[in-house]
Amino acid sequence: MSFFASKNTKFRTKGLKFDSVGLVTGLVLLIMLPALVQSNNYILQVFTHALLLASLALAWNILGVSGSISLGHAAFFGAGAYCSAVLSLEYGLSCWLTIPLAGLLATGLGLIMDLICLRLRGAYFALATLAFVEIPRVITDNWDELTHGSLGLVGVPGLPSLSLGTWSVDFSSSITASYYFVFAYSLVLLGLVRFLFNSNLGLAFQAIREEEIAAEAVGIPANRYRLLALLLSAYFTGVSGACYAHLVRYIEPGLVYGLHFSAIPMIFAICGGRFTILGPAMAALIIYPLDQFVFHPLLPAGHEFLYGVVLIVTVLFLPAGFWGSLRKVS
Amino acid sequence: MTILQLQKVSKTFNGIYALRNINFTMNEGEIVGLVGPNGAGKTTLFNLISGQLKPSSGKILFEDKDITGLKPHTVCKLGISRTFQSSRPFPEMSTLQNVLAGQVFGKGFSLHTRPEDEQAARELLDVVGIAHKGETLAGDLTLSEQRRLDLARALATRPKLLLLDEVAAGFSPVLVKQAIKLINRVRERGVTLLIVDHFLNLSLKVADRLLAIDHGEKIAEGSPNTVMRNRDVLHAYLGLRHQDEKDY
Repeated sequence: MSFFASKNTKFRTKGLKFDSVGLVTGLVLLIMLPALVQSNNYILQVFTHALLLASLALAWNILGVSGSISLGHAAFFGAGAYCSAVLSLEYGLSCWLTIPLAGLLATGLGLIMDLICLRLRGAYFALATLAFVEIPRVITDNWDELTHGSLGLVGVPGLPSLSLGTWSVDFSSSITASYYFVFAYSLVLLGLVRFLFNSNLGLAFQAIREEEIAAEAVGIPANRYRLLALLLSAYFTGVSGACYAHLVRYIEPGLVYGLHFSAIPMIFAICGGRFTILGPAMAALIIYPLDQFVFHPLLPAGHEFLYGVVLIVTVLFLPAGFWGSLRKVS
Repeated sequence: MTILQLQKVSKTFNGIYALRNINFTMNEGEIVGLVGPNGAGKTTLFNLISGQLKPSSGKILFEDKDITGLKPHTVCKLGISRTFQSSRPFPEMSTLQNVLAGQVFGKGFSLHTRPEDEQAARELLDVVGIAHKGETLAGDLTLSEQRRLDLARALATRPKLLLLDEVAAGFSPVLVKQAIKLINRVRERGVTLLIVDHFLNLSLKVADRLLAIDHGEKIAEGSPNTVMRNRDVLHAYLGLRHQDEKDY
């Protein structure tokens, strides 16, 4: 499997074969899913959302791999969602334009977060990011003319359509089409993350995470690389937020800036394996459907306890994450 | 030719002098031993030269260029590299990757590791004698192997001046002999060396010159023989004898 595999993966990652097997199996299953479930709308909807969460976890992990745990990614997610929603709804811009712009706005926010938080380490950084979310949330909540405040935005345009010559597809026309749109986006992001982590940027991120003083001493400008990780992470979290807005077509500050979107990517990344490429995405695609199909019907009010339980179990028994641990065993 | 020059360098922590008015010059190709008892300021001096700390006053010149207060990664790119008193490997990386990090980032940056980088890294592992451990995780190496790895990683950044902090501390006599050989091999590569050596088991054998400091001040400088006979140095290491006390 040569999917974005770089020349030097062989000394970077053990268990590469294992990764490839997991990747191929996952991809085949995901591509065939609409056919397998005979386009059952509910199942597809859940997996579309799971893929979106997978993209969030992947984006979160770009920063996570450099050693910082963020509890504030909802800031980027919400800002991205609002940016794309407002631009397309109020100003009628094409989603093909507003989605990347949403990423840029989130990147700008990432720059501000860098100024405020990135000199901090460990738990201090995490707590500062947790508080950071309040900045864009309060602005969104109070800028009524632009965002309609806490009423939220209703009727956000759906996902865009794509036409190449005579062939065209409207990604908002059916659940199956939306599913493939989010799938393609997650796949592109996965490819990028894989490229990044296997390149020497990945080596720098790992060096900074493991021994920052030594990393500086061998010529790695730690703060610059940490900023790069944060900006990339913020960009794609913003893009994911924009996709969410066009997918769900209704957003409000309490929802998109909620703790849910800060905590969920972290939980998936840690459960799947923070220092692996595939782990975070895998965790999203397993845990979220498990939650929706099994625990939600059983416990409609408290089904989210599942996330707490898997997080505790992972931290106690599989600190490398389930995918990280499986790779080690193989 | 002068490679490193310290001009009236001082460092204070909360008003207390860790180093006071250190003047010191190193020539290219030299091996200088920096000696002194515990807490004399040896590691602080290292941290100032390599950029981990900024001097409170004074100037540090490297190849006639003012490097005072530059960041460690910039200092590294200019050609000064260091090892640490307690080794700081990247524990979850393989030994080879550790050295590659130095090789790839030490002088510039390339997005992908080139075959010649890998070859150079393997050569360095061979130089320090842990070529067979290339695929082992650095965290699993023994103490002596980690020191060697630290050295290989520092060399990978292609330094002109290498600062070695207590490379041989805790080494058995056999390991010290190996370390001496190793240091001579490093010197043959054209690297100038500043060695911190608390127990003097290395510097007396390899250094051309010693610089002795105590309580943050320079107390002696010169050939190993003269420095080791210096009264102040003896006092710093061994304390005052009864007769001496009367003399004072």
